[in-house]
Amino acid sequence: MEALVQVLIGGILLGGLYALVAFGLSLIYGVVRILNFAHGTLLAVGGVAASLLYASYKLHPVALIAILVPALFIFGYLFYVLLLQPLERRSHFESTAGTVLVTVGALLMLSDLTAKLAGATQRNIPLRFEAIEIGEIVISTTQIGILAAIAALTFAMQVFLRKTWFGRAIRAVTQDPVGARICGVDSSRMKAMTFAFGSSIVAVAAVLYTMSFPVDPYMGFSLTVKAFTIIILGGIGNLAGALLAGIFLGVAEGLTGFYWKSEWAPALSVILLLAILVVFPKGLGRTR
Amino acid sequence: MNRLVGTACKLALFIGAGCVPLAQNAYYTTFAFTILIAFVLAQSWDWVAGEMGYVNLGHYAFYGIGAYAFAIALVGKYPSGVAMLFALLCTALAAALLAFPLFRLKGDYFAFGTLALLPLAEVLALNLVPITNGSDGIVLPPENVLTRAYFIALGVCVAAVIVSAWLAHTRFGYALKSIRNDEEVAEVMGIRIFPAKVAVIMLAAAFAGLAGSIQAWQMSFIDPGTVFGLNVALVPVAMALLGGSGLLWGPLIGVLLLATMQQWLLVNIKGYQATIYGAVILLIGRFMPGGLLRAGWVRERSWLRGLTQEHHERITGMADAQVARASPAAEADALPLAKRKVDRTRVLLECRDLTMAFGGNVAVDRANLRIMEGEIVGLVGTNGSGKTTLFNCISKVHEPRSGGIFIGGVELAGLRRDQVAHLGVGRTYQIPRPLGDLTVQENIAVPLMFGAGRLKPGEALREAREFVAFVGLAARLTDRADALSLQEKKALEFARALACKPRLLLVDEVASGLTPAEIRRFVGHIRHVRDSYGITVIWVEHIFSALSQVVDRVVVLEQGVVIADGPLSEVVADERVLRTYLGGAAKVAHG
Repeated sequence: MEALVQVLIGGILLGGLYALVAFGLSLIYGVVRILNFAHGTLLAVGGVAASLLYASYKLHPVALIAILVPALFIFGYLFYVLLLQPLERRSHFESTAGTVLVTVGALLMLSDLTAKLAGATQRNIPLRFEAIEIGEIVISTTQIGILAAIAALTFAMQVFLRKTWFGRAIRAVTQDPVGARICGVDSSRMKAMTFAFGSSIVAVAAVLYTMSFPVDPYMGFSLTVKAFTIIILGGIGNLAGALLAGIFLGVAEGLTGFYWKSEWAPALSVILLLAILVVFPKGLGRTR
Repeated sequence: MNRLVGTACKLALFIGAGCVPLAQNAYYTTFAFTILIAFVLAQSWDWVAGEMGYVNLGHYAFYGIGAYAFAIALVGKYPSGVAMLFALLCTALAAALLAFPLFRLKGDYFAFGTLALLPLAEVLALNLVPITNGSDGIVLPPENVLTRAYFIALGVCVAAVIVSAWLAHTRFGYALKSIRNDEEVAEVMGIRIFPAKVAVIMLAAAFAGLAGSIQAWQMSFIDPGTVFGLNVALVPVAMALLGGSGLLWGPLIGVLLLATMQQWLLVNIKGYQATIYGAVILLIGRFMPGGLLRAGWVRERSWLRGLTQEHHERITGMADAQVARASPAAEADALPLAKRKVDRTRVLLECRDLTMAFGGNVAVDRANLRIMEGEIVGLVGTNGSGKTTLFNCISKVHEPRSGGIFIGGVELAGLRRDQVAHLGVGRTYQIPRPLGDLTVQENIAVPLMFGAGRLKPGEALREAREFVAFVGLAARLTDRADALSLQEKKALEFARALACKPRLLLVDEVASGLTPAEIRRFVGHIRHVRDSYGITVIWVEHIFSALSQVVDRVVVLEQGVVIADGPLSEVVADERVLRTYLGGAAKVAHG
């Protein structure tokens, strides 16, 4: 029983991190209408960078976040403006094929370059933590910190999307790009900013992830698949739905490992995705 | 002349490829072999993507399934031929099963769902140890099969070329092209789209599976990384796109270029292969997603015309050839339609308590409607009164919430759109939806191929000319449909609906935006198809002066409810009609 609770806590933690990755992908997809196949790879690269920075300078995780967030923001902005935006002028098939190739090419380049420069080994941020025991259940201060950060970030994002001009503009463009444009939202600038913003959320997720799970340069795409499954489960632009779906997926993976074999956990999200598509062809939770 | 050169080129390529193993140089033979395999993969990928418009990023998974199926059968002591057949069947079956969930997706979602197949297949191969031997992979019995494998691969390549050429001008090919342009329109014209999708992905998968099995045979070792790895899986996709997806020669050119470059990198650059490879894919996507053969500086070269021709240009060449042979321009009034006998006392269309709602918005509200054979009925009403929704229910674009629709006594409940089309319903769209990258002639030929007559493509193209002439588009016969003006597109819509050879023709605001003279001509067309061919017409139109020239009666919809039904002169005097059109003031003026 205690072991099960332990697995559940781990699952919730992992799922919350998946959800953070999915937030960014969901915002980007909602506004830019591009599926960024390299999205999860940003977490892998960011995580490796964070662990290297930690190993060299012993920076506090908050400092790591403060460095990586602007870095990925700028990366996302340039990536979109230089490589993806020019494709919008092309025909439908060409722009679809072009964006797929650009993001997949970036995925391959990023992971291989990272592996070449930093090594393909698994890395983490070995923070010193204290174990808190509640009965038989052991939970670390790091884990509590991460859970709190996920909750705070979800809440902040929710407030951001509902109360700020930029957040409202994101929601407006997600719902109706033409309508938003008529109402004075500069959609091409919005797209670039959203792409950058969505990428920078991954920076936060990357640091938190590396604090509790190992990262390696090649893990990115499976994360993208998970984030995508979460979006389909939770609905595009629906943060609460994404968080729930993420936790569901994380816990399901944990339970798969607990009751069966952990090797099968990576297949879970794909099978889940295909199953959803068969049973609910129009997707779940079509809230906007 | 051009065709002769083309044929000569193909023969030279084929003979050249056949001669490679004679040099007895294993290095060159292996290199040529990789090119052949890559070509099979790129070309078969393009049947789904270039022809049907579905970007299947998981195509390589079928290659891997084929490789595993072959390896397992070969290790099980079956002869290689049997093992290949087994691989082919396994991949086709896997494709058929996967088609059900995957074809619920469109666009980016389809690309994503298919790409996710690769990690799934890799996990399966790693973990189903009793079958796949897990991460250790499968070692095949050692024997030198390079030459044999090479010739089999060459044979498969030739088969792939034949299939591509066959797809360019057969009924199945036109089904795929229609799906690529507009799935709903394809269905409304009588095409059963789902079986076509399943068939093409099974075909593509079977070729990919064969490629996988031949390459596994030649390599004599496979493991999950080599056959499902993300870093190799997108090579065929990049190759096809580099050359030019959807072009007959595109995949081949792309394969030759990229494979040569890959070989050069392999020899000359140590490390960073995957980085460079990723960069190449990225740059192709950024600068040439349409392919090399569509780049301006390549298309300008006239001696490359044979390679750069788009489908519609190629078909135009063939159509021009037919002009010389076909009879001189037929009379613009005669259409190749059966002269249907009309019994004015028989009900052709009946709607009983038809209700259609979108969420809480009731667009058609318990509408009752009877249309007799040979009638021309005007369907009028203010904007948003449910006219187009009614059409959409009849052509099954929408599934009504309740009530029944009967055509010639047959209930439409449970029928698909293509079945309704075969019952004799032809429709136009208010906002024209031509199959944009096909010619005007092909747009008309598609319903002729898939309608009741099931004409062969050649016959359909010939017959299409008469429909095109009838609506006055003869000068635009071989132009791409998306190059037409709005009025021309509306005329095309009308001609295409007629080419469905309907009993019941649903016309949705075809005359709006026309000049008075054009409207007169169009009214003449409507009368002509009824009088000469017994086609019953329901015409949605706001222009009462046009309706008054031809309709037997009008039906007025308001908020989804039929509020008046009778001769035009009576209906325009009806108080409720006046109120909906003119507001409360009408009552005062009238009474």
